[in-house]
Amino acid sequence: MSDQGIKSRPSYRPLTLDRTGRRHLLVSDGTTTAGVFAADTTTQDFDERWTISGQHSPLLLPRCAGEKKGVIGSAHVQPSDPIFRDETDLIATLDRRLKTEQIGLRLYATGAEPFLWRVMAVATEAGMGRDEVRLFAGRLGPRRVYCNHCGAIAEGVVANVATCPGCQAALFVRDHFSRRLNAFAGVKIDAEVPGDIPAIEVLYA
Amino acid sequence: MTVQAMLNPTPLKLRVRAIETLTPSLKRLSLASADGKALPPAPPGSHLTLALPLDSGRTRSYSIVSPADERDAYSLIVRHAQRSRGGSAYIHHRLAVGDLVESAVPTSQFSLHSLARKHLLIGGGIGLTPLISFLHELRSRSRSFELHQICRPDEADAFRHILEPFAGPDIYLYTGRAGLDLQAIMGRQPLGSHLYACGPEPLMAAVEAAATNVGWPANALHQESFGASGGAPFIVRLARSGRDVAVGEDETLLEALEAAGANPPALCRGGACGECITGVVDGVPDHRDHFLSGNEKASGRWVMPCVSRAKTDLLTLDL
Repeated sequence: MSDQGIKSRPSYRPLTLDRTGRRHLLVSDGTTTAGVFAADTTTQDFDERWTISGQHSPLLLPRCAGEKKGVIGSAHVQPSDPIFRDETDLIATLDRRLKTEQIGLRLYATGAEPFLWRVMAVATEAGMGRDEVRLFAGRLGPRRVYCNHCGAIAEGVVANVATCPGCQAALFVRDHFSRRLNAFAGVKIDAEVPGDIPAIEVLYA
Repeated sequence: MTVQAMLNPTPLKLRVRAIETLTPSLKRLSLASADGKALPPAPPGSHLTLALPLDSGRTRSYSIVSPADERDAYSLIVRHAQRSRGGSAYIHHRLAVGDLVESAVPTSQFSLHSLARKHLLIGGGIGLTPLISFLHELRSRSRSFELHQICRPDEADAFRHILEPFAGPDIYLYTGRAGLDLQAIMGRQPLGSHLYACGPEPLMAAVEAAATNVGWPANALHQESFGASGGAPFIVRLARSGRDVAVGEDETLLEALEAAGANPPALCRGGACGECITGVVDGVPDHRDHFLSGNEKASGRWVMPCVSRAKTDLLTLDL
C-alpha cells in the first residue's frame, strides 16, 4: 500500500547544479544532511546557501561547520549564507527576494517535503517554471493530508489512515499529491463499503 | 490540386478591401469577409494561409496583424521578398482591391504564454508582423511587456507608422543591430518573463546566444524564423518508392516534395508547428526549425521539410 502507483507522487533525485543557470540559490530547512547532492555537485557550487537555525541536525553548510549554531547576526555568518529564525522567516524573505530577481536564477531546495513545496509555491508565484527549481527530499517523512470532504488539512500524518481535524472523518491517505495545496489527498476510508477499514500501518514516519 | 483540397476543411472567401503601400517593398492588405458575415477570430500569433492563383498551386502563409476581435476583415503586412517564390510578388504586383481570394481559417502556432509575468518581444524586419498581434493583446489587457524591433534605416518611418497605435515607453525601434544590446536587455528581465523572437536567422542565432549567456530558461523562449529558405541544391530519395527528387536552391524541401506529388502533412511552413515531421533514413539533415529539441536534431532521425535542408548531397526520407 505504500506504492499506490499514482503518478502525481513527486519523486526526488539528489541535487545537481543546473549549469544553464547563471546564479544559484540553495535553501534548506536543515533537516536533510546526507545524500543531498549528486556526485558532480557540492555546496560550493551555489552562490548563496540559506538555512534555518536551531534544527536538530547539523547545518548543511560546510562553511558554517564548527560555528556556533543558531546565532543570528553572528560575525561568522557570511552574507551569502544567512541563517533564518524559522521556516516562515525564510519563506517570507525568499518571497520578497524572488519578486525582485532577474531571469537566470536557479533555485534549489532540500529538506522535509512540505518545506520543499512551500518553496515551490513562492517560486511559482514569482513566475519561475518547473525547469528553474530543483527539489530534494532526503527522507519522505510525515505528510500533510487534505480532507477531500471538508478541505481541512491534517499535519504530520505518519499512518495510512488519519482523522480529519475538520470533520473527524477517517481518511485514507492517498499518494495523490497536490502541488497547489502542498498536501496529499485524504478520502473517507470506508466510502465504498461502510465499515470496511483496513489495518492501520505507520508508513510515513 | 484544387484550392478546396489545399485549404481543408472549408475555405474562407475574402475580398481585398484595401492595399496600403508602406514602403516600396511593404504593403498592408485588408481582406474583408466576401459575404459580409463575421470572420472566425484570429488568435494572437495567427497566420492566414492564402490560396493565390499561382502556377505552383501552393499556398502562402502570412501573419495576421489585426486584433483578434476584429471580425469583419483580416490585415496582413507582406514584404516583397527579393527572391520571391511567387507569393509576395503576386501580392505586390497583381493583387488589386476588389479581388477575391480564398484562405484557410486562421490558426496560431506562436501564442502568448498567459502565465508570464512579463513578455519580451524581439523582432527583426518583417518579423514584426506576428508580434503586432501580440501588441494588440498585451495593450488591451494592460500586460507588462517590452518590444525591441530592428528595421533598416530607410524603413524607419514606415515602422514608426506601423507601431504608432502602440506607442509608449515600452516600444523600442532600432535602425540596425548595433544599437540593440540583447544580452543587457534579456539579462535585466524579471523572473517569469517569456521571450518571443521573430526575424531572420542571424537575429535568431544572436537571441539564442544571449539566452545561453543570461541563463534564460529554454521553455520561456519562443521563436519563429523566416526567410533563409534556400541553400545548396541536393537530392531527396523517397525510401518507400525509391524515387529521387531534386531540391533546387530556391525552393524548400517541402515544396520540392509537393511538386513531386509526395504531400507530407504541413501546416505552419515556418518550422514551428511540427506538423510536417518526417523520418530520416539516411543522410544528414541541416536543421533550421524551432520544433525539434537539440537532442532530436543531433540524433538525425527526423527533419522538418518546411524549413530544413540537407548537409549531404543525398537525403533519404521515410516517405
